[in-house]
Amino acid sequence: MAALLRGLRAGRALRGLGSVVATPTATTPQCSSLRRGFHCAALRLQDESKSDKPPSSSSTTYHEHYQAHSTEQDTTAASQEDSASDPAAETASGPNTSYQDQSGEQGEEYETEEQLQARILTAALEFVPQHGWSMEAIAAGAETLGLSSASTGMFYNGAGDLVLHFITHCNSQLTEILAEQHKQVQLGQAEPKETADFLRDAIETRLRMYIPYIETWPQAMSILLLPHNIPDSLKHLSTLVDDIWYYAGDRSTDVSGSHHPRSPSSSTHTFLSPLHHHPHNIRPATLQMNWYTKRAALTGIYNTTELVMVQDSSPDFQDTWNFLDNRIQDVVNMATTAKQVQSTGEAVVQGLMGAAVTLKNLTGLNQRR
Amino acid sequence: MAASMRLLVKRVIRLSHRNFNATAAGVSGRSGCCWGTASCRCFSDDRSTHFGFETVPEAEKAKRVYKVFENVAQKYDIMNDAMSLGIHRLWKDSLLHVMNPQPGAQLLDVAGGTGDIAFRFLEYVRSQQERQRRRSARSMQTPSWKDISNNYSTEEEERPQESKAVVCDINKEMLKVGKQKGDSMGISAGLSWVVGDAEELPFDDDQFDIYTIAFGIRNVTHIDQALQEALRVLKPGGRFLCLEFSKVTNPVLARLYDAYSFQMIPVLGEVIAGDWKSYQYLVESIRKFPDQEAFKHMIEDAGFYCVQYYSFTGGVVAIHSGFKL
Repeated sequence: MAALLRGLRAGRALRGLGSVVATPTATTPQCSSLRRGFHCAALRLQDESKSDKPPSSSSTTYHEHYQAHSTEQDTTAASQEDSASDPAAETASGPNTSYQDQSGEQGEEYETEEQLQARILTAALEFVPQHGWSMEAIAAGAETLGLSSASTGMFYNGAGDLVLHFITHCNSQLTEILAEQHKQVQLGQAEPKETADFLRDAIETRLRMYIPYIETWPQAMSILLLPHNIPDSLKHLSTLVDDIWYYAGDRSTDVSGSHHPRSPSSSTHTFLSPLHHHPHNIRPATLQMNWYTKRAALTGIYNTTELVMVQDSSPDFQDTWNFLDNRIQDVVNMATTAKQVQSTGEAVVQGLMGAAVTLKNLTGLNQRR
Repeated sequence: MAASMRLLVKRVIRLSHRNFNATAAGVSGRSGCCWGTASCRCFSDDRSTHFGFETVPEAEKAKRVYKVFENVAQKYDIMNDAMSLGIHRLWKDSLLHVMNPQPGAQLLDVAGGTGDIAFRFLEYVRSQQERQRRRSARSMQTPSWKDISNNYSTEEEERPQESKAVVCDINKEMLKVGKQKGDSMGISAGLSWVVGDAEELPFDDDQFDIYTIAFGIRNVTHIDQALQEALRVLKPGGRFLCLEFSKVTNPVLARLYDAYSFQMIPVLGEVIAGDWKSYQYLVESIRKFPDQEAFKHMIEDAGFYCVQYYSFTGGVVAIHSGFKL
């Protein structure tokens, strides 16, 4: 299921839509049963011709995607993708304006509650530097969309919703960028990077997304550590690390030997597997590490680098990137060292065995009597 | 004054559309009920509704409800404390917590009567504003040059909207008691008292951020009309909140609750307020009101989204919340 979604996303990225893809939100849809009722009511609302709602180009793309895709999954994913990108883009996208006149108001009514919530949260992000990660920021965001501040009552988790939405947004942006890079490598337009460099660049890209909010980021981190948010934040973190290792070309299996669910056995991933040249001869030690070790190591690197970044005051966070370099180097060294220790150990054992046999020969114990 | 003119016009229009009787006099615009003039009876549809366990013609219910509250207005608050053993204050506090109003929100409290919700709302918003101001003052203790220059330049950045609460009730006696209470508590800024019918509110569209109705909607003759009006006067994104007695799910608790309701409450009513029948009506009307799920469906039918309910005290009361999106 997750693989299918990732495949769809990767496929769409390849088609060069170039817009931000938002993964389905982590929060359970509070009123998902209302979705059908929403549409029936939407048709009724249409009659009342609400002209006070600000027409937006996002409405056209909702309508377009809603008609084009039959599966609900695609609809929510596509509409969310557009809903997330629209406030960011802030300009009517060219190819969609032709639909605007016909379906300007119609399209808006088909928006589900989740999409509206995503729009409010995205609008709220620009008020975070001023109000922090709090309900006030969400209220300010809602007001820019023309909604009353009372609509913040929809977010039962309050600030946690805002932070998790932002994290999801960043993760999907990173996935987009990594997929784009893969495409470049596949087309032969760019050189494949070494694993250590790839990891370093991926983490740097991801952490740079926090720079606009770095003042208030400690507050966000503490919100993520609240007990009721921990399952969600861990899930996002593990998805992030998984994605990065996947695009780094990790095809290792887990401890039990069973196939990793994201291995390229499904057809959607075949574009990646035969063409990604992993330099086997240069970094054999990294391949030796199994699935869990790799992800644990990267999680550790990511978390510690994030903490360093929060209190970093050097220009353009240079100290943080140096720290990141050193940590990745540590991991690589550790892997190499582990292998060396293993081979040294073997050699030592063999040497001892040889010495023992020699001693036995010398003392004549081996003589056949 | 303008409101009453508007009411008259609206009533005339509705008369031609809906076959209801229009009252000829009074500021309290009440459509759909007959004020006892025999000549108007020719239009009444003989539809009946419940008044407690009694069945009465719809036209009569509003009148009788008005009488009930007119009688109990003076002792309303004392009776509330006595009947619920003071727990009603906790319920109203919970309503405010669920509401979580942001500074600058406009509240309409329908069937607000003695103003409990409106007072709590103003207090909540003001303490929040205090907290915000204190927080910004603390962060401003070591201001940078940029902050200081910003302060000098942005004088009009002050929050333009002050929170206001409008208490609307069909019953003038209840409003009178509420106004007295407000004056004695010293809360008068940002508070206004309006006479109006929940089925036909004397307000324009898209006016309020939050609409609350606490322990009032079961007294309305046409609940769906009240919900429609709520939808009308709320701004887009506005929130509808209803605090009301509801079904107790636990059977043991239900038995105790029934016994208490039917044995104790009318007696208390007689002793404290001198009115057995009003309180008999009260407990009967609670039984006649739809349960949590049914009411949730009614709210959804009216056009609200994200409808949820929270039960308190085992289901004795429930808060329903919906959004106008």
